[in-house]
Amino acid sequence: MKKTRITICTGTACYVLGGANLLELEDFLSDEMKSRIEITGSACLGMCKAASNDSKPPYVKIDDEVIHSATIQKIIAYLSER
Amino acid sequence: MFVDNRMTYLKREVMAAVASLFFDNKLKEEINRIPTKIIPRNSVSHRCCVEKDREIIKQRVIASLGFGLEDEKLVDESLLSDFVDKALDRDSPDKQILSFIDEACKACVRVNYYVTEVCRNCVAKPCITNCPKGAISSDEKRAHIDGSKCVNCGLCLKMCPYHAIVFVPVPCEEACPVGAISKNASGKEEIDYSKCIHCGKCIRACPFGAVVEKSQIIEVLKSLTGSGKTTALVAPAIAGQFPFSMKQLSGGLRELGFDYVVEVALGVDITAQTEAEEFIERMASGDGMMGTSCCPAYVEAVKKHAQKFEKYVSHAKTPMSYIAAITREKFPQAVNVFIGPCIAKRHEGLDDDNVDYVITFEELGALFIAKGLDVSSCTESDFDLGYATCEGRNFPVSGGVAAAVTKILEEKGRRTEITPAYINGFNKKSISLLNIYATGKSPGNLIEVMSCEGGCICGPGVVANPKFAANKLKEFVDSKEHL
Repeated sequence: MKKTRITICTGTACYVLGGANLLELEDFLSDEMKSRIEITGSACLGMCKAASNDSKPPYVKIDDEVIHSATIQKIIAYLSER
Repeated sequence: MFVDNRMTYLKREVMAAVASLFFDNKLKEEINRIPTKIIPRNSVSHRCCVEKDREIIKQRVIASLGFGLEDEKLVDESLLSDFVDKALDRDSPDKQILSFIDEACKACVRVNYYVTEVCRNCVAKPCITNCPKGAISSDEKRAHIDGSKCVNCGLCLKMCPYHAIVFVPVPCEEACPVGAISKNASGKEEIDYSKCIHCGKCIRACPFGAVVEKSQIIEVLKSLTGSGKTTALVAPAIAGQFPFSMKQLSGGLRELGFDYVVEVALGVDITAQTEAEEFIERMASGDGMMGTSCCPAYVEAVKKHAQKFEKYVSHAKTPMSYIAAITREKFPQAVNVFIGPCIAKRHEGLDDDNVDYVITFEELGALFIAKGLDVSSCTESDFDLGYATCEGRNFPVSGGVAAAVTKILEEKGRRTEITPAYINGFNKKSISLLNIYATGKSPGNLIEVMSCEGGCICGPGVVANPKFAANKLKEFVDSKEHL
Protein backbone atom coordinates (compact mmCIF):
# COMPACT_ATOMS: atom_id res chain seq x y z
CA MET A 1 0.00 0.00 0.00
CA LYS A 2 1.22 3.47 -0.82
CA LYS A 3 1.88 5.49 2.32
CA THR A 4 0.13 8.78 2.99
CA ARG A 5 2.67 11.57 2.84
CA ILE A 6 2.45 14.24 5.55
CA THR A 7 4.52 17.33 4.81
CA ILE A 8 4.94 19.77 7.69
CA CYS A 9 6.00 23.25 6.64
CA THR A 10 8.92 24.49 8.73
CA GLY A 11 9.09 27.91 7.12
CA THR A 12 9.57 30.60 9.75
CA ALA A 13 5.93 31.80 9.88
CA CYS A 14 4.52 28.28 10.19
CA TYR A 15 7.13 27.26 12.73
CA VAL A 16 6.54 30.24 15.04
CA LEU A 17 2.75 30.01 14.84
CA GLY A 18 2.46 26.34 15.78
CA GLY A 19 4.58 24.31 13.37
CA ALA A 20 7.21 23.80 16.09
CA ASN A 21 4.81 21.51 17.95
CA LEU A 22 3.64 19.68 14.82
CA LEU A 23 7.15 18.28 14.46
CA GLU A 24 6.30 16.07 17.46
CA LEU A 25 3.34 14.55 15.58
CA GLU A 26 4.72 11.04 15.57
CA ASP A 27 4.59 10.81 19.38
CA PHE A 28 0.81 11.16 19.22
CA LEU A 29 0.04 8.53 16.59
CA SER A 30 -1.04 4.94 17.08
CA ASP A 31 1.22 2.23 15.64
CA GLU A 32 -1.44 1.51 13.04
CA MET A 33 -1.40 5.12 11.88
CA LYS A 34 2.39 5.30 11.93
CA SER A 35 2.53 2.27 9.63
CA ARG A 36 0.55 3.94 6.89
CA ILE A 37 2.08 7.39 6.84
CA GLU A 38 5.37 9.07 6.15
CA ILE A 39 6.19 12.36 7.90
CA THR A 40 8.58 14.88 6.41
CA GLY A 41 9.51 18.41 7.36
CA SER A 42 9.74 20.80 4.46
CA ALA A 43 11.24 24.16 3.69
CA CYS A 44 8.67 26.96 3.31
CA LEU A 45 5.81 25.71 1.13
CA GLY A 46 4.95 29.31 0.24
CA MET A 47 1.36 29.00 1.44
CA CYS A 48 1.59 31.95 3.84
CA LYS A 49 2.43 34.34 1.04
CA ALA A 50 -0.68 33.34 -0.91
CA ALA A 51 -2.94 33.17 2.15
CA SER A 52 -6.33 34.84 2.31
CA ASN A 53 -7.85 36.24 5.50
CA ASP A 54 -9.34 33.03 6.85
CA SER A 55 -6.39 30.80 6.08
CA LYS A 56 -3.57 30.92 8.59
CA PRO A 57 -0.29 29.16 9.32
CA PRO A 58 0.82 26.57 10.20
CA TYR A 59 0.31 24.67 6.94
CA VAL A 60 0.54 20.95 6.48
CA LYS A 61 0.11 18.96 3.28
CA ILE A 62 -1.48 15.54 3.47
CA ASP A 63 -0.56 14.06 0.11
CA ASP A 64 -1.66 16.97 -2.08
CA GLU A 65 -4.32 18.41 0.17
CA VAL A 66 -3.42 21.54 2.17
CA ILE A 67 -4.52 21.93 5.79
CA HIS A 68 -4.28 25.40 7.29
CA SER A 69 -4.24 26.36 11.01
CA ALA A 70 -3.00 22.81 11.45
CA THR A 71 -2.94 21.15 14.86
CA ILE A 72 -1.96 17.63 15.84
CA GLN A 73 -5.63 16.91 16.62
CA LYS A 74 -6.71 18.18 13.21
CA ILE A 75 -4.18 15.96 11.43
CA ILE A 76 -5.19 12.90 13.46
CA ALA A 77 -8.88 13.54 12.75
CA TYR A 78 -8.06 13.76 9.06
CA LEU A 79 -6.05 10.54 9.12
CA SER A 80 -8.80 8.69 11.00
CA GLU A 81 -11.25 9.44 8.21
CA ARG A 82 -9.02 7.96 5.54
CA MET B 1 5.09 18.43 27.13
CA PHE B 2 4.17 21.48 25.09
CA VAL B 3 4.69 24.98 26.39
CA ASP B 4 2.84 26.45 23.44
CA ASN B 5 -0.88 26.58 22.88
CA ARG B 6 -3.54 28.55 21.01
CA MET B 7 -3.01 31.44 23.38
CA THR B 8 0.69 31.81 22.64
CA TYR B 9 0.05 31.68 18.88
CA LEU B 10 -2.54 34.42 19.14
CA LYS B 11 -0.10 36.56 21.09
CA ARG B 12 2.58 36.09 18.41
CA GLU B 13 0.08 36.80 15.64
CA VAL B 14 -0.79 40.14 17.27
CA MET B 15 2.88 41.11 17.62
CA ALA B 16 3.53 40.13 14.01
CA ALA B 17 0.55 42.22 12.85
CA VAL B 18 1.83 45.31 14.69
CA ALA B 19 5.39 44.84 13.39
CA SER B 20 4.18 44.19 9.86
CA LEU B 21 2.29 47.52 9.76
CA PHE B 22 5.40 49.23 11.13
CA PHE B 23 7.56 47.79 8.34
CA ASP B 24 4.95 48.88 5.78
CA ASN B 25 4.85 52.38 7.27
CA LYS B 26 1.11 52.06 7.89
CA LEU B 27 1.05 51.62 11.66
CA LYS B 28 -1.07 54.65 12.47
CA GLU B 29 -3.47 54.32 9.52
CA GLU B 30 -4.14 50.61 9.81
CA ILE B 31 -3.67 49.66 13.46
CA ASN B 32 -7.37 50.05 14.35
CA ARG B 33 -8.14 47.24 11.90
CA ILE B 34 -5.95 44.63 13.61
CA PRO B 35 -8.69 43.20 15.91
CA THR B 36 -11.12 42.63 13.04
CA LYS B 37 -8.37 41.27 10.84
CA ILE B 38 -7.27 38.71 13.44
CA ILE B 39 -10.82 37.87 14.55
CA PRO B 40 -12.92 37.99 11.36
CA ARG B 41 -16.73 37.92 11.57
CA ASN B 42 -17.04 34.22 10.71
CA SER B 43 -14.36 32.98 13.10
CA VAL B 44 -15.06 30.53 15.92
CA SER B 45 -15.18 32.59 19.09
CA HIS B 46 -12.77 31.77 21.91
CA ARG B 47 -15.11 33.40 24.41
CA CYS B 48 -18.74 34.58 24.35
CA CYS B 49 -18.63 36.37 21.00
CA VAL B 50 -16.26 37.75 18.38
CA GLU B 51 -16.74 41.25 19.81
CA LYS B 52 -15.22 40.24 23.13
CA ASP B 53 -12.39 38.43 21.35
CA ARG B 54 -11.70 41.60 19.38
CA GLU B 55 -11.70 43.78 22.50
CA ILE B 56 -9.10 41.51 24.06
CA ILE B 57 -7.01 41.63 20.89
CA LYS B 58 -7.21 45.42 21.09
CA GLN B 59 -5.80 45.34 24.61
CA ARG B 60 -3.12 42.90 23.50
CA VAL B 61 -2.11 45.37 20.75
CA ILE B 62 -1.80 48.13 23.37
CA ALA B 63 0.61 45.90 25.35
CA SER B 64 2.53 45.15 22.14
CA LEU B 65 2.98 48.91 21.77
CA GLY B 66 4.57 48.84 25.23
CA PHE B 67 1.74 50.16 27.41
CA GLY B 68 -0.03 48.77 30.47
CA LEU B 69 -3.79 48.37 30.80
CA GLU B 70 -4.26 49.64 34.32
CA ASP B 71 -6.05 52.82 33.23
CA GLU B 72 -9.34 51.26 32.10
CA LYS B 73 -10.91 54.58 31.17
CA LEU B 74 -8.03 55.41 28.86
CA VAL B 75 -8.16 51.94 27.27
CA ASP B 76 -11.93 52.22 26.74
CA GLU B 77 -11.93 55.73 25.35
CA SER B 78 -8.88 55.52 23.09
CA LEU B 79 -8.47 54.15 19.62
CA LEU B 80 -5.40 52.02 19.02
CA SER B 81 -4.09 54.74 16.73
CA ASP B 82 -4.10 57.14 19.72
CA PHE B 83 -1.40 55.01 21.32
CA VAL B 84 0.86 54.94 18.25
CA ASP B 85 2.36 58.43 18.54
CA LYS B 86 2.84 57.98 22.27
CA ALA B 87 4.71 54.74 21.61
CA LEU B 88 6.88 56.31 18.92
CA ASP B 89 7.74 59.33 21.10
CA ARG B 90 8.41 57.39 24.29
CA ASP B 91 11.86 58.02 25.82
CA SER B 92 12.28 54.81 27.77
CA PRO B 93 10.26 51.63 28.29
CA ASP B 94 8.13 51.12 31.40
CA LYS B 95 9.89 49.58 34.41
CA GLN B 96 6.81 47.69 35.52
CA ILE B 97 7.05 45.13 32.79
CA LEU B 98 3.78 43.22 33.18
CA SER B 99 0.10 44.08 33.04
CA PHE B 100 -3.29 42.31 33.17
CA ILE B 101 -6.07 42.28 30.60
CA ASP B 102 -8.93 42.40 33.07
CA GLU B 103 -11.47 41.45 30.38
CA ALA B 104 -9.58 38.19 29.92
CA CYS B 105 -9.16 37.74 33.68
CA LYS B 106 -12.92 37.82 34.14
CA ALA B 107 -13.28 34.30 32.75
CA CYS B 108 -11.08 33.00 35.57
CA VAL B 109 -12.25 31.87 39.00
CA ARG B 110 -13.14 34.83 41.17
CA VAL B 111 -13.70 32.74 44.31
CA ASN B 112 -11.28 29.97 45.32
CA TYR B 113 -13.83 27.72 47.03
CA TYR B 114 -16.46 25.68 45.27
CA VAL B 115 -19.08 23.26 46.57
CA THR B 116 -19.04 20.09 44.47
CA GLU B 117 -21.77 17.50 43.88
CA VAL B 118 -20.29 15.48 46.72
CA CYS B 119 -22.27 17.75 49.09
CA ARG B 120 -24.93 15.64 50.91
CA ASN B 121 -26.93 18.67 51.98
CA CYS B 122 -26.46 17.51 55.57
CA VAL B 123 -28.51 18.71 58.53
CA ALA B 124 -25.61 20.15 60.51
CA LYS B 125 -24.35 22.34 57.66
CA PRO B 126 -21.07 23.35 59.35
CA CYS B 127 -20.11 25.31 56.23
CA ILE B 128 -23.02 27.69 56.67
CA THR B 129 -22.64 27.88 60.44
CA ASN B 130 -18.95 28.71 60.27
CA CYS B 131 -18.85 31.08 57.31
CA PRO B 132 -17.88 34.46 58.80
CA LYS B 133 -19.43 36.40 55.92
CA GLY B 134 -22.74 34.60 55.54
CA ALA B 135 -21.72 33.74 51.99
CA ILE B 136 -23.10 30.19 51.94
CA SER B 137 -26.70 29.14 51.48
CA SER B 138 -28.32 25.91 50.41
CA ASP B 139 -31.18 24.81 48.18
CA GLU B 140 -32.86 21.40 48.11
CA LYS B 141 -29.77 19.81 46.53
CA ARG B 142 -26.64 21.31 48.07
CA ALA B 143 -24.83 24.31 49.47
CA HIS B 144 -23.71 27.25 47.30
CA ILE B 145 -21.09 29.95 47.83
CA ASP B 146 -22.00 33.53 46.94
CA GLY B 147 -18.94 34.91 45.16
CA SER B 148 -19.80 38.51 46.00
CA LYS B 149 -19.61 37.81 49.73
CA CYS B 150 -16.88 35.11 49.98
CA VAL B 151 -13.50 36.33 51.24
CA ASN B 152 -11.60 33.09 50.46
CA CYS B 153 -10.88 32.27 54.12
CA GLY B 154 -11.23 28.52 53.51
CA LEU B 155 -13.10 27.71 56.73
CA CYS B 156 -15.89 25.94 54.84
CA LEU B 157 -13.37 23.58 53.23
CA LYS B 158 -11.94 22.71 56.63
CA MET B 159 -15.35 22.16 58.22
CA CYS B 160 -17.08 20.00 55.59
CA PRO B 161 -17.27 16.40 56.87
CA TYR B 162 -17.58 15.06 53.31
CA HIS B 163 -14.64 17.03 51.83
CA ALA B 164 -17.23 18.28 49.36
CA ILE B 165 -15.70 21.75 49.08
CA VAL B 166 -12.65 22.12 46.87
CA PHE B 167 -9.98 24.77 46.52
CA VAL B 168 -9.80 26.09 42.96
CA PRO B 169 -6.55 27.98 42.37
CA VAL B 170 -6.10 31.10 40.28
CA PRO B 171 -3.37 29.85 37.91
CA CYS B 172 -1.24 33.01 37.92
CA GLU B 173 -1.36 33.32 41.71
CA GLU B 174 -0.50 29.66 42.08
CA ALA B 175 2.40 29.86 39.63
CA CYS B 176 3.94 32.92 41.28
CA PRO B 177 6.77 31.63 43.50
CA VAL B 178 6.80 34.73 45.70
CA GLY B 179 3.12 35.58 46.28
CA ALA B 180 3.32 38.81 44.30
CA ILE B 181 -0.06 38.41 42.57
CA SER B 182 -3.36 38.97 44.31
CA LYS B 183 -6.77 40.52 43.74
CA ASN B 184 -7.40 44.09 44.78
CA ALA B 185 -10.58 45.25 46.52
CA SER B 186 -12.51 45.32 43.24
CA GLY B 187 -11.45 41.78 42.32
CA LYS B 188 -8.84 42.80 39.76
CA GLU B 189 -5.53 40.94 39.72
CA GLU B 190 -2.57 43.12 40.59
CA ILE B 191 1.18 42.65 40.78
CA ASP B 192 3.03 43.85 43.85
CA TYR B 193 6.32 44.96 42.30
CA SER B 194 7.98 45.12 45.70
CA LYS B 195 7.68 41.30 45.69
CA CYS B 196 7.78 40.46 41.95
CA ILE B 197 10.95 38.80 40.67
CA HIS B 198 9.98 39.09 36.96
CA CYS B 199 10.28 35.35 36.40
CA GLY B 200 7.38 35.33 33.95
CA LYS B 201 5.78 32.15 35.27
CA CYS B 202 2.40 33.90 35.50
CA ILE B 203 2.44 34.65 31.76
CA ARG B 204 2.67 31.01 30.79
CA ALA B 205 0.36 29.87 33.60
CA CYS B 206 -2.65 31.93 32.57
CA PRO B 207 -4.80 29.88 30.16
CA PHE B 208 -6.62 33.04 29.05
CA GLY B 209 -3.46 34.93 28.19
CA ALA B 210 -4.48 37.70 30.58
CA VAL B 211 -0.96 38.46 31.79
CA VAL B 212 0.77 40.53 29.13
CA GLU B 213 4.27 41.90 28.74
CA LYS B 214 4.79 45.51 27.84
CA SER B 215 6.75 44.89 24.69
CA GLN B 216 9.74 46.90 23.49
CA ILE B 217 9.32 45.92 19.83
CA ILE B 218 8.38 49.47 18.80
CA GLU B 219 11.69 50.78 20.13
CA VAL B 220 13.53 47.94 18.38
CA LEU B 221 11.66 48.50 15.10
CA LYS B 222 12.50 52.21 15.25
CA SER B 223 16.16 51.36 15.63
CA LEU B 224 16.11 48.70 12.89
CA THR B 225 14.49 50.98 10.33
CA GLY B 226 16.30 54.16 11.40
CA SER B 227 19.64 55.47 10.16
CA GLY B 228 21.65 54.33 13.21
CA LYS B 229 23.26 50.95 13.80
CA THR B 230 21.69 48.14 15.83
CA THR B 231 23.35 45.13 17.46
CA ALA B 232 21.62 41.83 18.22
CA LEU B 233 22.96 40.16 21.35
CA VAL B 234 21.62 36.61 21.02
CA ALA B 235 21.30 34.50 24.15
CA PRO B 236 22.83 31.01 23.93
CA ALA B 237 19.39 29.38 24.29
CA ILE B 238 18.60 30.57 20.74
CA ALA B 239 20.56 27.66 19.26
CA GLY B 240 17.71 25.31 20.16
CA GLN B 241 14.81 27.53 19.16
CA PHE B 242 14.44 27.54 15.40
CA PRO B 243 14.62 24.98 12.60
CA PHE B 244 17.55 26.71 10.93
CA SER B 245 21.30 26.94 11.52
CA MET B 246 23.01 29.65 13.53
CA LYS B 247 24.60 31.00 10.34
CA GLN B 248 21.15 31.30 8.76
CA LEU B 249 19.88 32.95 11.94
CA SER B 250 22.71 35.45 11.80
CA GLY B 251 21.83 36.14 8.15
CA GLY B 252 18.14 36.49 9.02
CA LEU B 253 18.89 38.99 11.78
CA ARG B 254 20.90 41.07 9.30
CA GLU B 255 18.06 41.01 6.79
CA LEU B 256 15.77 42.16 9.58
CA GLY B 257 17.97 45.25 9.91
CA PHE B 258 20.52 44.34 12.58
CA ASP B 259 24.01 45.55 11.67
CA TYR B 260 25.95 43.36 14.10
CA VAL B 261 25.16 39.93 15.55
CA VAL B 262 26.96 38.90 18.74
CA GLU B 263 26.81 35.61 20.66
CA VAL B 264 26.03 36.23 24.34
CA ALA B 265 27.76 32.89 24.97
CA LEU B 266 30.98 34.92 24.73
CA GLY B 267 29.86 36.68 27.91
CA VAL B 268 29.07 33.30 29.42
CA ASP B 269 32.73 32.39 29.27
CA ILE B 270 33.60 35.52 31.29
CA THR B 271 30.86 34.80 33.85
CA ALA B 272 32.03 31.20 34.27
CA GLN B 273 35.69 32.24 34.60
CA THR B 274 34.82 34.91 37.17
CA GLU B 275 32.61 32.51 39.14
CA ALA B 276 35.34 29.86 39.15
CA GLU B 277 37.96 32.28 40.47
CA GLU B 278 35.57 33.65 43.06
CA PHE B 279 34.67 30.09 44.08
CA ILE B 280 38.30 29.30 44.82
CA GLU B 281 38.69 32.51 46.84
CA ARG B 282 35.51 31.90 48.81
CA MET B 283 36.50 28.33 49.65
CA ALA B 284 39.89 29.57 50.81
CA SER B 285 38.28 32.22 53.01
CA GLY B 286 35.95 29.67 54.58
CA ASP B 287 32.60 30.71 53.07
CA GLY B 288 31.80 27.06 52.47
CA MET B 289 29.40 27.75 49.63
CA MET B 290 28.69 29.98 46.65
CA GLY B 291 25.49 30.54 44.65
CA THR B 292 25.56 31.21 40.91
CA SER B 293 24.51 34.66 39.74
CA CYS B 294 23.42 34.51 36.11
CA CYS B 295 19.65 33.96 36.52
CA PRO B 296 18.21 37.42 37.20
CA ALA B 297 14.86 36.12 38.53
CA TYR B 298 16.54 34.06 41.22
CA VAL B 299 18.97 36.86 42.12
CA GLU B 300 15.99 39.21 42.52
CA ALA B 301 14.24 36.56 44.65
CA VAL B 302 17.26 36.37 46.92
CA LYS B 303 17.35 40.17 47.30
CA LYS B 304 13.65 40.42 48.07
CA HIS B 305 12.83 37.16 49.84
CA ALA B 306 15.89 35.17 50.91
CA GLN B 307 18.24 37.83 52.26
CA LYS B 308 20.13 35.32 54.39
CA PHE B 309 21.48 33.76 51.21
CA GLU B 310 22.47 37.09 49.64
CA LYS B 311 26.07 37.06 50.83
CA TYR B 312 26.63 33.71 49.10
CA VAL B 313 25.54 34.89 45.65
CA SER B 314 28.51 35.27 43.33
CA HIS B 315 29.51 38.81 42.39
CA ALA B 316 30.06 37.75 38.79
CA LYS B 317 27.91 39.73 36.40
CA THR B 318 25.53 38.05 33.98
CA PRO B 319 26.72 37.04 30.51
CA MET B 320 24.43 39.72 29.06
CA SER B 321 26.06 42.39 31.17
CA TYR B 322 29.63 41.43 30.18
CA ILE B 323 28.94 41.10 26.49
CA ALA B 324 26.86 44.28 26.34
CA ALA B 325 29.77 46.24 27.84
CA ILE B 326 32.22 44.76 25.30
CA THR B 327 29.82 45.41 22.42
CA ARG B 328 29.33 49.02 23.53
CA GLU B 329 33.09 49.50 23.46
CA LYS B 330 33.46 47.95 19.98
CA PHE B 331 30.40 49.57 18.42
CA PRO B 332 29.76 52.66 20.57
CA GLN B 333 27.18 54.15 18.22
CA ALA B 334 24.99 51.06 18.00
CA VAL B 335 21.79 50.33 19.94
CA ASN B 336 22.17 47.06 21.89
CA VAL B 337 19.19 44.69 21.72
CA PHE B 338 19.30 41.53 23.83
CA ILE B 339 17.27 38.66 22.38
CA GLY B 340 16.50 35.88 24.82
CA PRO B 341 13.99 33.49 26.39
CA CYS B 342 13.68 35.53 29.57
CA ILE B 343 11.29 38.10 31.02
CA ALA B 344 13.53 38.92 34.00
CA LYS B 345 16.18 40.00 31.49
CA ARG B 346 13.80 42.75 30.39
CA HIS B 347 13.97 44.13 33.88
CA GLU B 348 17.71 43.57 34.19
CA GLY B 349 18.20 45.33 30.84
CA LEU B 350 16.38 48.43 32.07
CA ASP B 351 18.95 48.76 34.87
CA ASP B 352 21.96 48.17 32.62
CA ASP B 353 23.22 51.19 30.68
CA ASN B 354 24.80 48.99 28.03
CA VAL B 355 21.56 47.15 27.22
CA ASP B 356 19.10 49.36 25.42
CA TYR B 357 16.23 46.96 24.74
CA VAL B 358 15.26 43.37 25.42
CA ILE B 359 12.99 41.20 23.30
CA THR B 360 12.07 37.52 23.54
CA PHE B 361 12.43 34.71 20.99
CA GLU B 362 8.65 34.95 20.53
CA GLU B 363 8.97 38.60 19.60
CA LEU B 364 11.89 37.83 17.30
CA GLY B 365 9.73 35.18 15.60
CA ALA B 366 7.00 37.78 15.16
CA LEU B 367 9.51 40.21 13.60
CA PHE B 368 10.63 37.53 11.12
CA ILE B 369 7.00 36.88 10.14
CA ALA B 370 6.29 40.61 9.83
CA LYS B 371 9.24 41.08 7.50
CA GLY B 372 8.13 38.06 5.47
CA LEU B 373 11.45 36.30 6.04
CA ASP B 374 11.88 32.58 5.69
CA VAL B 375 15.12 32.39 7.63
CA SER B 376 16.18 29.03 6.15
CA SER B 377 16.56 30.75 2.82
CA CYS B 378 18.46 33.78 4.16
CA THR B 379 22.10 34.21 3.15
CA GLU B 380 24.33 32.65 5.79
CA SER B 381 26.55 34.96 7.80
CA ASP B 382 28.99 34.75 10.70
CA PHE B 383 28.76 36.22 14.17
CA ASP B 384 30.67 39.38 15.00
CA LEU B 385 33.30 39.50 17.75
CA GLY B 386 34.25 35.81 17.51
CA TYR B 387 32.90 32.56 18.81
CA ALA B 388 32.16 31.09 22.23
CA THR B 389 33.23 27.81 23.80
CA CYS B 390 31.08 24.66 24.01
CA GLU B 391 30.62 25.20 27.74
CA GLY B 392 29.41 28.71 27.08
CA ARG B 393 26.87 27.51 24.58
CA ASN B 394 25.65 24.81 26.96
CA PHE B 395 24.95 27.32 29.76
CA PRO B 396 21.18 27.66 29.24
CA VAL B 397 20.38 24.07 30.19
CA SER B 398 19.87 23.11 33.82
CA GLY B 399 23.28 21.96 35.05
CA GLY B 400 25.09 23.95 32.35
CA VAL B 401 26.37 26.72 34.60
CA ALA B 402 27.78 24.34 37.20
CA ALA B 403 29.33 22.26 34.40
CA ALA B 404 31.11 25.31 32.96
CA VAL B 405 32.51 26.32 36.37
CA THR B 406 33.51 22.71 37.11
CA LYS B 407 35.34 22.46 33.78
CA ILE B 408 37.44 25.51 34.66
CA LEU B 409 38.32 24.06 38.07
CA GLU B 410 39.22 20.80 36.40
CA GLU B 411 41.63 22.64 34.11
CA LYS B 412 43.26 24.09 37.21
CA GLY B 413 43.55 20.58 38.67
CA ARG B 414 41.03 21.32 41.42
CA ARG B 415 38.05 19.26 40.25
CA THR B 416 37.68 17.47 43.60
CA GLU B 417 37.05 20.70 45.48
CA ILE B 418 33.70 21.38 43.88
CA THR B 419 30.35 19.66 44.64
CA PRO B 420 27.52 21.23 42.67
CA ALA B 421 23.93 21.21 43.94
CA TYR B 422 20.97 22.36 41.89
CA ILE B 423 17.70 24.20 42.24
CA ASN B 424 16.17 23.41 38.87
CA GLY B 425 13.03 25.55 38.64
CA PHE B 426 12.15 28.13 41.26
CA ASN B 427 8.95 27.59 43.22
CA LYS B 428 7.38 28.57 46.53
CA LYS B 429 9.62 26.11 48.43
CA SER B 430 12.86 27.39 46.90
CA ILE B 431 12.89 30.50 49.10
CA SER B 432 12.93 28.48 52.31
CA LEU B 433 15.43 26.08 50.77
CA LEU B 434 17.86 28.94 50.07
CA ASN B 435 17.41 30.27 53.59
CA ILE B 436 18.18 26.79 54.97
CA TYR B 437 21.27 26.50 52.74
CA ALA B 438 22.40 29.84 54.19
CA THR B 439 22.54 28.29 57.67
CA GLY B 440 25.21 25.92 56.40
CA LYS B 441 22.98 22.94 55.66
CA SER B 442 23.63 22.81 51.96
CA PRO B 443 23.97 19.67 49.84
CA GLY B 444 26.88 21.13 47.87
CA ASN B 445 29.30 24.04 47.76
CA LEU B 446 28.28 25.45 44.38
CA ILE B 447 24.56 26.12 44.27
CA GLU B 448 23.29 26.52 40.72
CA VAL B 449 19.85 28.08 40.63
CA MET B 450 17.71 28.47 37.52
CA SER B 451 14.27 29.98 37.86
CA CYS B 452 12.90 28.04 34.89
CA GLU B 453 12.68 24.27 35.25
CA GLY B 454 15.01 22.76 32.65
CA GLY B 455 16.96 26.00 32.34
CA CYS B 456 16.71 29.03 30.06
CA ILE B 457 15.69 26.84 27.11
CA CYS B 458 12.35 26.47 28.95
CA GLY B 459 11.97 30.21 29.60
CA PRO B 460 8.70 32.11 29.27
CA GLY B 461 9.72 33.69 25.95
CA VAL B 462 10.64 30.56 23.98
CA VAL B 463 9.09 29.26 20.76
CA ALA B 464 10.39 25.67 20.64
CA ASN B 465 9.18 22.94 22.93
CA PRO B 466 11.81 21.87 25.49
CA LYS B 467 12.54 18.46 23.94
CA PHE B 468 13.23 19.92 20.49
CA ALA B 469 15.20 22.79 22.04
CA ALA B 470 17.42 20.51 24.13
CA ASN B 471 18.22 18.25 21.15
CA LYS B 472 18.86 21.13 18.79
CA LEU B 473 21.07 22.96 21.28
CA LYS B 474 23.09 19.80 21.90
CA GLU B 475 23.54 19.40 18.15
CA PHE B 476 24.93 22.95 17.93
CA VAL B 477 27.19 22.52 20.97
CA ASP B 478 28.54 19.21 19.63
CA SER B 479 29.09 20.64 16.16
CA LYS B 480 31.68 23.01 17.68
CA GLU B 481 30.94 25.42 14.88
CA HIS B 482 33.93 27.73 14.42
CA LEU B 483 35.85 26.46 17.40
